[in-house]
Amino acid sequence: MTVNPRFLLRLPLLLIGQAALSLHFFSLVSLAAPAVAASRPDALKIGVLAPLSGPYAAGGTSFVQAATLAVEQANAEGGVFGQRVTIAVGDTQGRVDVAKSEALRLVSREKASALVGAYLSEETVGAMEVAAAHRTVLLVPVAATAEITDKVRQEYKRYRYVFRVGYSLPQWAEMIAAFLSDRKVRRYAFVGAGIRWNLELGETLERVVAPRGITPVYTAFYSPGNPAFDAVAVAAAAASPDIVILADPGRNSVSFLKRLREAAPALPALSIGGALGDARLAASIPLSAPVYVQAAAWRGVSPAATAYVERYERRYGAPPVGYSDTLPYDAVTVLVAAWRKAGSAATEAVVPVLERGAFPGVAGAYRFDAAHQARWGTGPGALHGTFVRWERGGALIVFPPRQ
Amino acid sequence: MRNAAAFRGGWPAAGIGLLLLFPLSSPDAFFLDVFTTGFLLAAFAASWDVVGGVSGQITLGHAFPFGVAAYACALLTSLAGWPLPLAVAAAVLLAAAVGAGIGALSAPLAGPFVALLTLALGEIAHEAAVGNTFFSGPGGYAWGGEGGIPVALPWRDASPFSSYYAALAFLCLASYGMLRFSRSGAGLILRAIAGSPITAQASGVPIARYKRLGFAVGSAFAGAAGAGFALHVGRATATDLSLELSFQAATFAAVGGRGTIVGPIVAALVLHVLFQGLSLPPSARVLLYALTLLVTLRFFPGGVVGTARDLASRPGGKEGARSPRRRGRNRSGEGTP
Amino acid sequence: MTSPLPQVLLDGLFAGGTYALMAAGMALILGVVKVINLSHGAFFTLGAYVAYALAERGIVSPIAAAPIAAVIAFAFGVFLAKSFVNPVRNHPFALPVGTLACALLFEQAAQMAWGPHPLSIEAGAPWIGPGGLVIRRWGVIAFLSSAALLGGLKWLLSARPGLPLRLIAEDEEIAGSLGMDVEAIRYLTFGGACAMAAAAGALLSPSGAVTPTMGRAPLLLSLVVVIVAGMDSVAVIFLLSIGLGIFGNACAWFLSPQWSYVALLAAVCLLLSTRPAGIVVPAGRRD
Repeated sequence: MTVNPRFLLRLPLLLIGQAALSLHFFSLVSLAAPAVAASRPDALKIGVLAPLSGPYAAGGTSFVQAATLAVEQANAEGGVFGQRVTIAVGDTQGRVDVAKSEALRLVSREKASALVGAYLSEETVGAMEVAAAHRTVLLVPVAATAEITDKVRQEYKRYRYVFRVGYSLPQWAEMIAAFLSDRKVRRYAFVGAGIRWNLELGETLERVVAPRGITPVYTAFYSPGNPAFDAVAVAAAAASPDIVILADPGRNSVSFLKRLREAAPALPALSIGGALGDARLAASIPLSAPVYVQAAAWRGVSPAATAYVERYERRYGAPPVGYSDTLPYDAVTVLVAAWRKAGSAATEAVVPVLERGAFPGVAGAYRFDAAHQARWGTGPGALHGTFVRWERGGALIVFPPRQ
Repeated sequence: MRNAAAFRGGWPAAGIGLLLLFPLSSPDAFFLDVFTTGFLLAAFAASWDVVGGVSGQITLGHAFPFGVAAYACALLTSLAGWPLPLAVAAAVLLAAAVGAGIGALSAPLAGPFVALLTLALGEIAHEAAVGNTFFSGPGGYAWGGEGGIPVALPWRDASPFSSYYAALAFLCLASYGMLRFSRSGAGLILRAIAGSPITAQASGVPIARYKRLGFAVGSAFAGAAGAGFALHVGRATATDLSLELSFQAATFAAVGGRGTIVGPIVAALVLHVLFQGLSLPPSARVLLYALTLLVTLRFFPGGVVGTARDLASRPGGKEGARSPRRRGRNRSGEGTP
Repeated sequence: MTSPLPQVLLDGLFAGGTYALMAAGMALILGVVKVINLSHGAFFTLGAYVAYALAERGIVSPIAAAPIAAVIAFAFGVFLAKSFVNPVRNHPFALPVGTLACALLFEQAAQMAWGPHPLSIEAGAPWIGPGGLVIRRWGVIAFLSSAALLGGLKWLLSARPGLPLRLIAEDEEIAGSLGMDVEAIRYLTFGGACAMAAAAGALLSPSGAVTPTMGRAPLLLSLVVVIVAGMDSVAVIFLLSIGLGIFGNACAWFLSPQWSYVALLAAVCLLLSTRPAGIVVPAGRRD
């Protein structure tokens, strides 16, 4: 062999050394903010639960980034009744046992005044138990399962500390249905991951759009373990729908959309939110037909939304995707507003305030119903969400139409 | 010989004593919770060792019986309305039956084929759990899928102290049972089969039956741990059946020492408590965990406890005595370069 | 197009090509170093990230990225083999767990270096074949390069330069006594196989999304292929990969895409229980 083995040995060492240095730097930065703040006695702490390692780290990371931004914003506005707001983060790892345990840490050790999270439905249901047992307010930004609000309805006394800021599946379906009507869609294909909430969203949507004369011509769910995109993309195209709805918010939606564009370049697609809201990703998708993305809010829907997007982009180098970051941002904003309104962070004072008031966030004014579900949808006074269409160089808001 | 005996009996007793006293140092609820989960994971890792170490059947689907028991607990209590003790007993039996089934399927296979078959079976179970919205629960919405199924518990918000002691008691009982099994006649025959199937067959041992037995016993203990986990978390979710969990058990066994039962328990407890309990920043936690595994395996390739026992039993080694623990080297087919 | 079925089967063929591309390296490591390398998926991911990093700097062709990724992965692979795999070789159980830890380490490092968010490289338009058949660019490349790679491997193992590899795979002691540097051949083989995985990752990066955990799914399937096919026949590895790819897509088409993975695994279970000694039983080599 002519290759000098010494060189080969040194190269990875060098690389590892460099990586280690930069990692060290990263961890210092990420640690510094909460650690310094924690030592302040007159601080109100928000416990944030999100998956920061493992396959769901992408959503969890932007979740925490947005929550951090909201806390900074609250402090820039002078804090809450003179106190600074700080943040303590728990990594849920996408597991219910860890979510429960981390929620316990945030409540018992970090003495968090309220919790925001978690990301996945099962994590959230676990964290709910901790919040109920410790009578701590829990704001749920993204988890969509009906179980959360159903528990509040069934056992109000125990679970009244839990409020969902994000949309429920029926609300989600209602907003999609309004968009489909607006686009004059008659036939759609529904494609998602073979997981519970994707299956449920598909069923709910079918029910909601039926009175409008819109029908699904193809419905399929690929396995998240080893997604069989090819057959689904080909079959979805063969059913010749007006639009393909992608229910998977994760990275698989990107791979699938690429496959779909190869199979049927002229077929429009709608992502119900998540990864495809990322401008860098969207830039790699051929725009031979429209790509729509649903988001809670987008740059331009309101001055607050624009300010938030610009701040996010300045801070993290890329604009938010409008779902797993915008909703946590609003959750923290709502919480802080409720604290201010109640004049206290005590749970018993905050719950009635949250139940009655309206709280302005980036997506609009949040009001909670009897099951502690924020009002999203198409009715008056409800939060409408946003649909955008990707263009070269940015996204265009297409729905709801601007008044 | 006396030293070797002390090594065998003294350290575990001291460890249990420390763990019994630990809650008196008034740790917070979080730390107790981490330990509780650690105890259950340790029992699970040891049950892996009954199959993978003692019986020498490297399984990569050990989460299957664990998750089956967790799901059985959830479904039987929440939907069928069974009383909890009955549901737990049924769950453990079901896990043992699943184990016997896996054992029957994998008995004719050799080496990596066992790993592959168990991996495939475990993945099938996981996919079935993720993709199925089992039944409609009382709320009128689907149960199952990635959100899992709640366990109907007769208590609510169990005190962290009682959970801690219950899990510790379970771990002690389960590890005693597993140690007894691994040293029983059946355990020795299983080790012999693991060492050399041909020799065992030549001596008239019904290999397939013993392999089934090994799988069934290990799976029953895994099921017990799974049921305990479901009770502790209050829910059975698809992660209880995941490949990651199976790999985790195998990892603990490798780090602790395959075939020693005690090794996986110690490794699971130490690694889990260190990496979950210290609340390190997530990226640092994962990096340190992986590095710890690599460094430990690099310098203790037979596992920490396995290597310690080898040293203790080596002639002229620290303990200076040639003890019967010598078989600890050969039974796992490792350690002889 | 009359029926989409030919399209589905063609895509299955290409999917099988990607499994084969990964399986080739794994089989080489299993044969020569006698290790089930669970960090193989991480090297695949590494290749994809190298391609992305180059694309970000204006070099959009994965064909240019493949050799660069291969060189980097080779260096890492040799390092891993020298520092961990070779010293621990006599403990067959510590090795897969160690390589798994290595994969975990890499996934986390990639997440810290490039962020956890999925990244994506433009895939380019597919070619349109006869009858409106869509021929996916990166599918063709995966299929052809896997065929070439496995063909090359077959030639290497039967020709004179591959003799040391074959000898080490058969009997290390004889190889050592003939004056071969067994250690060096082992770590060079390991590095070479890792380079193959990274090249595969770079080549296939435009077809999907690049994420830290993207290597897990292909790892699992190529693991299945390698264990079932064994190291004895390169042709069987290739055929089995292609077979699994087509079978998976056919199941997705005829049954349900949600259960195609389960069907695939069930087929493997069935195969194992009907042929407990593996599908290739070379004469006189089984005990």
